[in-house]
Amino acid sequence: MRTYAFPGLLALAVFSGLLHLSTQYQIVRAPMGALFLAFALAGPAAAYAAARVLPGGVVTWAGLGLFAAAMAAGVWLPPALDALALVGVFLAYAGSRDRLPERDAAAFWGWVFVWPALALMLIWNIFPSFFALWISLFDRFNFIGESRFVGLLNYEILWRDPLFWRALSNTFWYVVLTVPTGILLGTVVAVLLNERIRGLGLYRTIYFLPYITALTAAAAVWQWIYHPEFGFLNWLLGTPGLDWLHTPDGIFALALAPLGVQLSGFWAGPSVAFTAIMIMTVWHFLGYNVVILLAGLQSIPAQYYEAAELDGAGWWQMQRHITWPLLSPTTFFLAIIGLIGAFQVFTQVYVMTPTGGVLNDTLTVAMYLYNKGFRDSDFSYASALAVTMFVIILALTLIQRRVLERRVTYEH
Amino acid sequence: MNTRLRHLLGRIFIYAVLTAGAVVMAFPFYWMIATSVKSPQEAQQAAPIWFPERIQPANWRTAWRLGAEGDRPWWGGFAPGRTVTLHLRVEDPGAGRPRARVPKPPAVFSDPRSESTRIRIEPAEGGWKIVLENAGTQRFSTLPLVVWIPKDAGKFRSELPPDAVRSQRGYWRLEWVNVSPGLFGYLFHNYREAWHAAPFARYFFVSFFTAGTQVLGGLIIATMAAFAFARIRFPGREAVFLLFVATMMIPGEVLLIPNYILLAKLGWLDTFYALIVPWLASVFGIFLLRQFFLSLPQDLFDAARIDGASYWGMLWRIAFPLAVPGLVTYGIFAFLGAYNALLWPLIVTQSPEMRTIQVGLQAFIGEAGSDYGQLMAASTMAILPIVLGYFFAQRHFIQGIARSGIK
Repeated sequence: MRTYAFPGLLALAVFSGLLHLSTQYQIVRAPMGALFLAFALAGPAAAYAAARVLPGGVVTWAGLGLFAAAMAAGVWLPPALDALALVGVFLAYAGSRDRLPERDAAAFWGWVFVWPALALMLIWNIFPSFFALWISLFDRFNFIGESRFVGLLNYEILWRDPLFWRALSNTFWYVVLTVPTGILLGTVVAVLLNERIRGLGLYRTIYFLPYITALTAAAAVWQWIYHPEFGFLNWLLGTPGLDWLHTPDGIFALALAPLGVQLSGFWAGPSVAFTAIMIMTVWHFLGYNVVILLAGLQSIPAQYYEAAELDGAGWWQMQRHITWPLLSPTTFFLAIIGLIGAFQVFTQVYVMTPTGGVLNDTLTVAMYLYNKGFRDSDFSYASALAVTMFVIILALTLIQRRVLERRVTYEH
Repeated sequence: MNTRLRHLLGRIFIYAVLTAGAVVMAFPFYWMIATSVKSPQEAQQAAPIWFPERIQPANWRTAWRLGAEGDRPWWGGFAPGRTVTLHLRVEDPGAGRPRARVPKPPAVFSDPRSESTRIRIEPAEGGWKIVLENAGTQRFSTLPLVVWIPKDAGKFRSELPPDAVRSQRGYWRLEWVNVSPGLFGYLFHNYREAWHAAPFARYFFVSFFTAGTQVLGGLIIATMAAFAFARIRFPGREAVFLLFVATMMIPGEVLLIPNYILLAKLGWLDTFYALIVPWLASVFGIFLLRQFFLSLPQDLFDAARIDGASYWGMLWRIAFPLAVPGLVTYGIFAFLGAYNALLWPLIVTQSPEMRTIQVGLQAFIGEAGSDYGQLMAASTMAILPIVLGYFFAQRHFIQGIARSGIK
């Protein structure tokens, strides 16, 4: 019981302050009177209870009194004076500090240290997550006009929305093609860099530099490289006039067309435009993979290789039977991180094809969400999209864990 | 011998693959910088120009001299009373006198620069010299020039290579964006133009202020929380920690709309609060620093506690100084994230005064149109601070990234 006295007071003080602020800023318009009444009663009650369990003293009593008064005054105080309740808690602590057992001091300071982060998380992460779920159940929630509760209607519309499926299939191809490519290329580069070569620092810098450059600027540069008339790539490949970023044909369809195979829809694969964006993305994130994989490689003990060499193993065998399995935790980490990041791709797509490309061939889920929410101001539908996205990412991550983690070798 | 040969071939193979990869990785940077010093005509060539005129040192001397004649050798200009002389060699000077004009900007009624510039064209050895005198009272930062040379005059060569050459009936029309550039004014012409075309100084300020505040505030908040999680036994610790872990599952997209609505209700849209406050608490930073505090010996803290140190004192006097590597890692990550972010600032800002550099650049991409020289100059400026920072703190960047991957 004793250990909860100070954290409890602290929580009450902070919560009443937040409540007060939220009414000032009209975040909640519900009948707040009852809540305030509850806080006004809880404040003095808490102060009384605390006074019973805490060691006495003038300063402690003064602090608790200040706390109780501030809590009871509640809504009639100007918001700036909300801090008085907090000051009261600290004063009470200061007054009884010398006679408090170690556990109470730890409880108090633990909560004091965690509070700023916890409050920010509650306001900007945890509450909004539920709020997103809530507004996705309304009909066109926005600032103008009334909205009514429609249950799962938005999800039903989403299920039949061809654009959503288009965005989802685009994003699917994006994840499936960029993440393994990035990891594979990264592994090759990292293994070669780990071969005790000269100029490691220079190579590493060159491979790493794209990762720290802003995606906006990088996308602008690649857009210029892909330029149909004056672009470098068309000169290099001898394909003048090929408009990379405005070609909606699927790459699998294009590749198999000479063989007489006609593919359409999802199986036509990502468009040429989207593939161009993927290439740019692999370029951008390769350095991250290389650095992480290189750190993973360097943590593999050299004895393994020495032993294998004594047994007459060749270079390739060593890579296959030592490096690859012992690197698997790192690879697995990159796969998870890559999946989550790739599913949320927005910036480079938005910069290179601001309208979502020809026939929405580069529309991704995040970009569709942006369009719905901030171009069409349909917050409810966008929230339904966001919640769906969360569920898909969660499901994919769990599947990935089940499927891949079995093959991960953790012990050295 | 055989093994040595195989070893050598292996080495050559490794270097060849790595170098080929490095060329591909570095090429976009070269192309960006090369384009950023090209004139529009140079940029818009079917075959790429590898070394634009503006990075050739032979031209720098002329640019320096012309700049000094106009006003200042580094940044050029055209001050009152000054005279700029440009030499123009032609194969056959007898074919006719060239014509020259200081072009007016389109759609202006009067242009003091072209009106107060007196142009004389005098014969000189092997061709002509064009003498431009500022007869007015005003200083101009650039001096554009157009010269027509009769096509009969044969081959021509200008001291300062023209930025564009076009054919116009019986004449070659030579255009310079600035014939009194000075060295930097010549080399960084596109940078200067881009800088003045959009309020980049303000964009940089917004970006640096946002990222800096986020890093400083985030460091303090994350240090306190991480210390509590790692070194203080308080009731509810596991529950709060679990809550923090759970928030890591939520993708940022879910928070966009509710947080936007919240900011709108607070009246914080289009302010620094919107850019900074929602990102102050970082679970990643808390985890990272917690790992750091956990790696410090517990005896250290027990001893301090017995000696009468408060938790507050322990945090800032003992734990904080020892966690500096972790703080640097988190600081770099937080700064990179804030500086390079596009989606969030795009949503919560409207006015140009509140644009971060990324949003500004994104808007500039739309405005600059086909002037890829300026666009690449703006892109270079946008990534420059981070790249410079990388070269200063390379070790911290690499170690920080590597550390984030090892759990």
